[in-house]
Formats: sequence, C-alpha cells, structure tokens
Amino acid sequence: MADHPRRLKRSGLTMPIVTERFINNAWHRGCDFINMDLEDSVPPNLKDVARNLVRQSIPVVNKGGADAVCRINHDLMEADLNAAVWPGLMMVNYPKAEYAHEIRRMDEIITRLEAERGIRPGAIEIGANIETAVGVANAYEIVSASPRIRDFGGASGYDMSRDLGVEMFVGFDQFVYGKGEVELTARALGVEPHAAPFTPNLTGSVSDPDRAFAEADAARRCGFRIGGGLHPNVVEPQNRGFTPTDDEVADAHWVLEQYRLLSRSGDTWIQTEDATGQPRIIDRYEAARAQELLQWRALCEERDREKSEAISRVRAAEEHAE
Amino acid sequence: MTILVRRSNLMVPASQHRMIRWAWNRNADAITIDLQDGIPDAALETARETLQSAVAQVGKAGAEVFVRVNAAYVYADVAAAMCRDLRGIVLPGAESRQHVAEADAILTELERHHGVELGSTEIIPSIETAAGVWHIREIITASPRIRQVCIDEAELAASLGIVQGADPDPFVYARGRLCIEATAAGVQPIAVADPMGLSTENLSHDDLVQIATDARNLGFKGLVCPHLNWVNPVNDAYTPTESLVDYYTQVREVFAQALAAGTAAAPFAGRMIDVPVDEWAKDVLAMSAACAARDAEKQTAHEKARIWQETAP
Repeated sequence: MADHPRRLKRSGLTMPIVTERFINNAWHRGCDFINMDLEDSVPPNLKDVARNLVRQSIPVVNKGGADAVCRINHDLMEADLNAAVWPGLMMVNYPKAEYAHEIRRMDEIITRLEAERGIRPGAIEIGANIETAVGVANAYEIVSASPRIRDFGGASGYDMSRDLGVEMFVGFDQFVYGKGEVELTARALGVEPHAAPFTPNLTGSVSDPDRAFAEADAARRCGFRIGGGLHPNVVEPQNRGFTPTDDEVADAHWVLEQYRLLSRSGDTWIQTEDATGQPRIIDRYEAARAQELLQWRALCEERDREKSEAISRVRAAEEHAE
Repeated sequence: MTILVRRSNLMVPASQHRMIRWAWNRNADAITIDLQDGIPDAALETARETLQSAVAQVGKAGAEVFVRVNAAYVYADVAAAMCRDLRGIVLPGAESRQHVAEADAILTELERHHGVELGSTEIIPSIETAAGVWHIREIITASPRIRQVCIDEAELAASLGIVQGADPDPFVYARGRLCIEATAAGVQPIAVADPMGLSTENLSHDDLVQIATDARNLGFKGLVCPHLNWVNPVNDAYTPTESLVDYYTQVREVFAQALAAGTAAAPFAGRMIDVPVDEWAKDVLAMSAACAARDAEKQTAHEKARIWQETAP
C-alpha cells in the first residue's frame, strides 16, 4: 500500500453525531481531529438517524482543518461503515476490537467502499480500540491484520475496567500490564502507540484543563503523541501539552550544536553544562532525541498553521456573506 | 449467565486437626485442605487416610472444598481426596499444558473409579514460576475443568530470588498478565493473599478489607486466605455494599430516563452516566444478587450443620 501522510492526533473531541449543536460548533475549537460518535453516546433508537448524518457532517467538522473521524458500533460494523466511509473521512474508530478477523473484514469493506466512492485506496485509517482482556491478548494479531492501522492503543478506561471487574479511580494503575502490552505491540509492528501514563485521578473529571495539560505533557514525555477528549476545555491544553515548548526547541538546537563540536573532536561523548548550569551528557542518543524533537515540533507547527488558515478562511467567507 | 461467587478460599493445613474440625464454621465460600505445605512426607500417609472425612467435615456449612495436592504426588493425593464432596484440586507449580493435561487425566480416571460425575472436579492451577507466568495461556486453556487460576506470590518470589514484601512491587507484570489472560479465557484469576507483598500479622479488619479491595481492583475475583481472620473481611470487600447497590440502582434509573428522553449520556451526582457506566451498574447489581444467593445457600447449610452438631451424641 502506498505511503500516506502522517496525520497528527494531539487533540480531538468525541461527540454524539445526533447532537447538532456539538457537531456544528466543533470546527473552530482547534482540534487535530473530531470524532463523530455513532456508538455509546447515541441511544439505540437513534442509531439509524445517526448513521444518516455522517456523510453531511464530514464537511462540517472538516472546515476548520480538523480531520474527520467516525466511531462506529462494534455490533453494527457493516452498516456503520457503509454510512461513514465517504470522501473527507480520515479514520474509522472500531471499539472493543478483539480479533484479527474483525479487522480483516473491516479492511475488505473499506477497500470496496474506497473504490466505489472515489477515495484514494488505503487512505482511510482503522483505529482498533482495545477495551477488553481478549483485545489485549490478541493485540499483535489485531495490529498485523491491516496496514490501515497506523496508531494503536487503549487497554484502559470504562469498558476495560468493566471487563476486568475493577473500579475506575482507585489511586493505582489497574491497567498497567495491558497498556504495556499494547504499547509494545504497536512499537514492535512500527505503528504509533497511544496511551495514558498513570497519573492519580480520583475525580474522573473530563473538563479540567490543568489535568488535561498535565496528562498530555506526561504522555509526551513517555513518547506518546496522541490525545483526545470529550470537552472543548481540553483541546488547547492537549495541543500545548503534546507540542515541544520554545525552551525545549532552543535546548535541542544547543544539543545539536554541542554534538557537532563533539563530532569534530573525535570523542563519542562529553559532559558539559547547559545554559541553566545543569550538567549534561552529549552523545549520539541525546543528539537523536533533539533531532526528533525538532522534527516533531515542525510537524506540530505545520499542522497548527493548516488549522488556523482553514479557520481564517471560514471566518472570511462568513464575513463576506454578511 | 451464573456468576461464580468464590470470594474467600480458606487454606487449612491437613495436619491441623483442630482447624479441620472448626473451619466449616467460619463463613468461607471455599476451603482448601492443604497437603503440600507444612506436612512432612512421613505424615502425608496419615493425612491421606482421613482426607475424605476432612473434606466432608470442612464442607458441611456449604463451603466448596478443594485439596491442594503435592506436585510430586498428584495421583496419590487425588486418589485419597476423590469423593462427591470434593469440588476440586489446587495444582501447584503449573508450568505447561502437559502438566494440566496429566492432572486432568488422573481426575477423569479417579472420578470414574469413585462414581463421581465425569469432569466435575475442578483444577485450580497455581502459578509459581516464571515459566508458569509465561505459559499462562496454554495452562488455563488446557482443561475445561479450570474455572479459576491463582498466582502464589510467596512461591513465585522464592523461585525468582525475590525478597517477600519487596518494595517496589515486583509482581506488576506477573499479576497483570494473569488477570488479562485469565479474563480473556473466561477463567477467574484469584490471588493468594499471603503475601500480596505483606506480612499477615497485626492486620485489622479494615486493613484486610483494603487489601482485598485492592486485589479486586487489580482484577482478582477472590482471595486464598492464609488465616481464619481473613475470611470475613475478604467476603465484605467482594460483596457490593447496600449503599453501592442503592447508588447503582439510581444510576440505572437515571440512564433509562435519559434513553427515553433521546440521549445516551446523563449527569448524575457529579459524574456522567453513559453506556459503560450503565453496564457496570448492571454488573454490580448482578454481583450483589449472586452474593446474596450464595450467602443464603451457606446460611441454610450452616443451620443444618449447627442443629446436627447440637443433636449429635
């Protein structure tokens, strides 16, 4: 399958597609993606209504530069895919993924729909959400089942806690093993891992911006780049938390400069002091880290520019219309 | 689907006759008579001779009865234990599919010989080594007799050269792997509460409830209790409290109203109630009903045993 551009997923709002107010207002929040939910936030009697809204909602959520994602129902996969795979959709989230054959089936259906509907082959990503013990146990087979899986994670949250029979906010990490398994799987198979490192949380708040920033910042320091949430309050803190700061960028430039000097000296490492007087080791590992940080920051800047230009265009068009 | 309620499993050494005589009266969901620890080989023969009556004795108030056999003498120990009152065996040091398959074959042979329903005797594999932790999937899927699996941290510590009660917790991976693999296979993971990283001395009722609650929140469905005084706190920690039942009853009502009003998310008591929360509420209420049923069953058996005891010559 051809190479597809890496899409950033630092922040995203998941919202019931049947709540028009949410869908219509989400585009200017600055999310990297918007996840239109057909699953848990939609009552059973509205599933048909919800499905019929996806195609028209894609351009609505797209217009501020956010990528459109649709979370389908595990048990209504075929009908939901048929309703969701349209031009402009980036990704389908598949909840409670448990077996490779489920993913292979999705891949087949999406491949057919792409061909029928004028979508670049292989463009639509599959998000295989791990929310059960069976999903963790079969993680490697699941990720191996389709090249459409470009990021992978889960193994925590309400569904997982229910499956294990554990409570959610207990002050220790009930999910540490499962999260480790899915992260190792993702890294071993070369897809982007996403996970939440443990930070004690006894409130379960979904709208606290400080908590959202602290969690995003912790996640980035553990090597994760993917966020998402339920409340507009958490979008900006997540974008910020997943993006390297100006100080970190300056430090990375300094590290690379030191490494250039070191390379000329013929030594492989040196201990020196940075701008703040902290002792630092400079070696090729540190240089590689700095290099990667600068690359990631450049991707973040490019993505932010893309979104702010899109939002400006919409605003200008709206003013023009008035 | 019926829920297997086996909150407390009290371990009683076969050689301690006083405990064998009185363990029935301590409200354990299950009792395991231990032929392995603390019994010198010379005393094993005597213990085996009285094993069937011990099984009947400890089970007379409704506890399910298990025997922990010796890894080296599975056949002889099972032969001594096999009877209709025996619920199953604890198989120490399980490391492979083969290991379980052998025990399964022995049980089948002895069930046939003793006229016990074929396949009715459970195996609880006890994971005690790195090999056991690694091969967990093949072990727990090796026999349909397996409904529970336990991890014996004291043994695991010994086999890995870990000091018991070490801090930081050395068993994060082993415990997590057990809970995930067992849950995935539809088998209940249970903890052996000694040590759970702890010394068992000087623990209050509340301490023990907390230990059992932590075990529950790691995913374990019950605890093997090293002492009599663990049983009630463990039962308490695994039985949804009245206030929890009230809360989740309300949660279900609020969610049902929300659905009727066309939304699948509703605020309640500072939290958002949606599908997974409602599903969890169902589980808590089902667990509560299952515990109540099990307690009533034990209560009835206990009444009978007590009357029998009083009227016995």
